[in-house]
Amino acid sequence: MDWLEQELAIALARKEPAAGFDGRVRARLHRRPRWLAIAATLLVMTGAGEAWRQHQGQLAKEQVMTAMRIAGSKLNRVQMQLKGTEQ
Amino acid sequence: MRPMLTLALGAALAATLWAQQFKFNLDHLSSKASDSVDISVNTSMLQFAAKYLGKDPDEARVKKLIVGIEGIYIKSFEFKQDGGYSPADLNRVRNQLKPPEWSRIVGIKSGGESENIEVWVRNERGKVTGVAILASEPRELTVCNLVGNIDLESLSDLGGHFGIPDIPKVKKK
Repeated sequence: MDWLEQELAIALARKEPAAGFDGRVRARLHRRPRWLAIAATLLVMTGAGEAWRQHQGQLAKEQVMTAMRIAGSKLNRVQMQLKGTEQ
Repeated sequence: MRPMLTLALGAALAATLWAQQFKFNLDHLSSKASDSVDISVNTSMLQFAAKYLGKDPDEARVKKLIVGIEGIYIKSFEFKQDGGYSPADLNRVRNQLKPPEWSRIVGIKSGGESENIEVWVRNERGKVTGVAILASEPRELTVCNLVGNIDLESLSDLGGHFGIPDIPKVKKK
């Protein structure tokens, strides 16, 4: 056996993995990627933001409708009075 | 931190007063009133609300009407007893509506003069830029300021909607 064969035999010799190697590989396979958690967080935040926006929009709409109801009812009373006067 | 907060609050108050065309000075009535409505909607809020208006026929009508309106400011108080407010409260508002900008287009008194409604219009260069409605009853006081280029015909067209019976137009003989 010359030196080359000796070197190859050493390099390619069967080695047992370090303790816990199997467990670490399995754990890594089952771990969810970090981007998935980030994406889920972003999705929830966007959804919550949109829900908040919808809520604010509904409130603004209600305010405008109430304002128009009040102003409209007062003007309506004016119209009724004017109509009464004309007749 | 506190000066910044004060500055921000001051700026917000100034923006409100700037948009509103006269001061209401009616906050002291809130504690006496059994019911009160305080509406303050500026341009951006109106534009935002407009996006949510439209499905219902009344909403569609309002959506059309608010085009050109820059702000709506209303304070309305209801009292359990007569005398919840004083004539001076109303006078403080009325005294700000001065010519040449403001002119009273309608003033009605009914119910033995206990009910009073005044409609004032603000004109700038021949354009309507604001409307003020002062309505008072023994147990109710309402002050409205609609800011912007308001189509009065459309505004009066609100009569007959919101469950209010429509008033048939009087035919000219």
